[in-house]
Amino acid sequence: MFTSILYPHDEEQGKEQQNQEPQCFHDLNLDKIFYPILKAKKEFELERFFYTPAHNTSIIQYRQDVMQDLENKTVRLLFEEFSTKAYAISHYMENTRELLSAKEHWDNNYLTRGRMLDYADRYCQAVTTLSEGAKAIQFKAQGLSDFSAYLKEYCARPSFQSLCMGVKRLREDFSQINYCMLIKDGTIRVRKYENQSDYTAEILRNFEKFRQGEVKDYRHKLSEEPSADHVEVAVLDMLAKVYPDVFRSLEDFCSEYLHFDDPVILRFSNEIQFYLSWLDMIEPLQREGLPFCYPTLCPMADHLYARDCFNLALAIREHSNTVTNDFSLDTPERFLVITGPNQGGKTTFARAFGQIHYLASLGLCVPGTQAALYYFDNILTHFGREENIDTLNGKLQDDLVRLHDLLEKATPRSIIIVNEIFASTTLADALLLGGKMMDAFAALGAPGVIVTFLDELASHGPETVSMMSTVNDKDQNSRTFKIVRKPADGLAYALQIAQRHGLTYEQLCGRLAK
Amino acid sequence: MKANLMYRDADFNTAETACSGWETLAADLELGHILAAMSRDDKVIQEACTAALSHPLTDLDVLRYRQENLNDALSNASAVRQLYAVTLETEKRRSGSWSWLGSHYISSTFSSAVNLLKIYTEMLMKLRAVADESLSNFRYEGFRNLLTMLQKELSDDYFHTVTDELNDLKEDRSVLISATMGNRLQGVHYMLRQKDHKNFWRRWMFAPSFTIAARDDAGARDLGARRDRAINESANALAQSAEHLSGFFAMLRRELAFYVGCLNLADTLHQYGKLICIPDLQQMESRSRQWQELYDVSLVLIKQGAAVGNSLRGDNKHLYLITGANQGGKSTFLRSLGQAQIMAQCGMFVGAQSCSIPIRAGIFSHFKKEEDGSMTSGKLDEELVRMSGIVAQLKPNSMILFNESFAATNEREGSEICRQITSALIENEIEVFSVTHLYPYAAAFLQDERTQYWRAQRTDSGERTFRLIEGKPLQTAFGEDLYERIFAAKSRV
Repeated sequence: MFTSILYPHDEEQGKEQQNQEPQCFHDLNLDKIFYPILKAKKEFELERFFYTPAHNTSIIQYRQDVMQDLENKTVRLLFEEFSTKAYAISHYMENTRELLSAKEHWDNNYLTRGRMLDYADRYCQAVTTLSEGAKAIQFKAQGLSDFSAYLKEYCARPSFQSLCMGVKRLREDFSQINYCMLIKDGTIRVRKYENQSDYTAEILRNFEKFRQGEVKDYRHKLSEEPSADHVEVAVLDMLAKVYPDVFRSLEDFCSEYLHFDDPVILRFSNEIQFYLSWLDMIEPLQREGLPFCYPTLCPMADHLYARDCFNLALAIREHSNTVTNDFSLDTPERFLVITGPNQGGKTTFARAFGQIHYLASLGLCVPGTQAALYYFDNILTHFGREENIDTLNGKLQDDLVRLHDLLEKATPRSIIIVNEIFASTTLADALLLGGKMMDAFAALGAPGVIVTFLDELASHGPETVSMMSTVNDKDQNSRTFKIVRKPADGLAYALQIAQRHGLTYEQLCGRLAK
Repeated sequence: MKANLMYRDADFNTAETACSGWETLAADLELGHILAAMSRDDKVIQEACTAALSHPLTDLDVLRYRQENLNDALSNASAVRQLYAVTLETEKRRSGSWSWLGSHYISSTFSSAVNLLKIYTEMLMKLRAVADESLSNFRYEGFRNLLTMLQKELSDDYFHTVTDELNDLKEDRSVLISATMGNRLQGVHYMLRQKDHKNFWRRWMFAPSFTIAARDDAGARDLGARRDRAINESANALAQSAEHLSGFFAMLRRELAFYVGCLNLADTLHQYGKLICIPDLQQMESRSRQWQELYDVSLVLIKQGAAVGNSLRGDNKHLYLITGANQGGKSTFLRSLGQAQIMAQCGMFVGAQSCSIPIRAGIFSHFKKEEDGSMTSGKLDEELVRMSGIVAQLKPNSMILFNESFAATNEREGSEICRQITSALIENEIEVFSVTHLYPYAAAFLQDERTQYWRAQRTDSGERTFRLIEGKPLQTAFGEDLYERIFAAKSRV
């Protein structure tokens, strides 16, 4: 029996969902990836879906399958349309039910009943359209084919059938009504319409002959919503006297079908947005040629890799200018130590590493053409806090306190990302502390990335892989942002950067001589 | 309703882009003075006449239509000016009424439109009065059709109906609105309905009613919103109708403007004692022209009178080479020729006693830029660029006026350039008028039967008459004269 499009088994639904963003969110720029989605789809309250990694590979598989089915644009549009409509209706109906059970005429009136009729109408249409559409699709994913079966069964229920019939009959009856209001001095009178002629047409007829060319449209965009509900209610009350039968059947309809919406379907309309919002966000990037793939999740860190992976937060901004990178970690390798010129994409790469792991843990498709990623319990990050203008000691202390906390929390199943640690102390201190940190990580055996200016850390031991950011040799002004496996070699790049600014020894001598 | 005074069956569009080369032509031929005399500071006349002059017509039928209308206008000047005055007054009353159709408030658009329509209706009555009075004096179809249409469309019955309706709309305080039910049973598709007069109040008295409470501001606003929704369409209809009428008067003013401009210029020239004539237009294929006392209209306007006219003819010619003394009236003649062509081809009269010319597919001018003529390659380059631009626009049966072109180099080279360009043009059905002092160039066509030579006249005593006569080019120019005179004048000081 189908219950949820996010969880394959009933018992997992009860597990707590996070409403707070995970700690690594900001450091990894995951906020830049998710905030636009959360903002655009505010009403769906998707935070709890995107803040809660699925720590069960069967859930990830379940979700990856659903997402692959939804990569088909037609299928996606079908669900998108349904989700938007049905989810809104569920909200409106909560409110409407409250009003219709109120005693006061102020709330419980023909206008509220009219609204309910409209919601019921839209609900019937949305469900029927989706059911018709889903019939034609062969779903590969368990989740979607189960839902499709549920929907089929639901539509065949007599209760749903009679709801649809009731809506149709009332709509027909109301569409026959054509009335006139006479407004004078604060009083409205209502009668049936009796073929009084259209004033506008009369005016146009009289002056049409002077027409020279196209004229402006002077009509104002006016809302067709009543400006004061109680006046509209009064008009409807008067109409109920003119057309008593139709209004009586509306009352009957509202009490019979007060709870017409189905909880399973409504839940689906919310949860499906997890997939739809993600695919909508990455679609423009895919069109620009940036690849996305469904990673394999590995319980062991023996062979982790990704090809053509990129920093998604940056790609959202840069689109096709985004640079892709590869990495791999094969036992005994555990740590990517990245050195090289500043502004060469080191931090970007470290973030990309963390991002794809987090995204994979949600069951989303991730940047890259192919990937095998670690099935982690926690992502622990340590990023330099630049805005903190403390004393040197204070900052070093802060670094160490945070490193200590990190090691406390870390397990062999964690992922560790450290960016520019010990940047504010003496080189000797930094080397000493860095070495100790590397020892601790090596002992732990958890995989991770370290961005550092300390070349020595890149050759710490068999667990380290040295990678460098590179500058294009021919055009020194363009940085490639390629991060490649290469022994650390800080000096050569320092010279290049100096030359670019005309500040090598010869250059500086030459310039000073003039 | 269309006036159709400029075209038998089409509107006169003053916004069209001018013919190619118009700016140059207007500057070279000094058309600005002519336009100023026509418009007398009336912007609409200025626009209409500019539009007419900058779109030379090639359809003889349309040209004859305009010539007829012009003829009628010249003999019924007062009636034409009266009609134009009504359009002016309408515009004045419109802007003086402070009516604002694009208002933020629908009810204000509504009442503004009703006000404007009342003004327009009154002005329509004035138009009809002019029509009633003057129709019998007009002879040709253009004005006759217009005045007849005004009489027919603006009947007494029509004024009666419209006035009643406008009064109704102005005073009514109750609104009758029809509606249907929207998706939530709210009233939609509001339409303003006309109250059937019979037993109206008796039938409505007993209908269910609702009166808003005394302090119910939201309710009062709601009733206002209902009225706005109901009159939205009719306010639009009224405003659009007002715009139709505004457009109608603007159209009428535009169509009359050209003829009023012609009347203005004719009056001024008459004042300066100059004759005008409606030219005899020949088919495009014709290569013959003749005229009596053709003068430079701009020069007359500047000098307020005196200007020499030329009486010349050319029979089956394709090239006219004009040589002779400097300051002997060659440029003036070239301008008068171009002006006549342009004016004739928009249906105007020309500045001459009589004039018979063929219509041309295009009219172009290529004048030397400054009078001094420093011999720099940059200047020749610029002239050639301009020429190349003209060539891109040339069609067979066009005419082109050269005024000392390509002289910004030595005489031999300049002559050769001119000769090659001119030969190519005339062999390709282009009529060429060329003022030149390049003797080898001028002499190159002496054997060509279809070349007409004219020369600035000089009396035996060396005096200039500023007239052109038939005559072959002379080897010596008269620059020496000029030199002498100027230097003599200077040494005398």
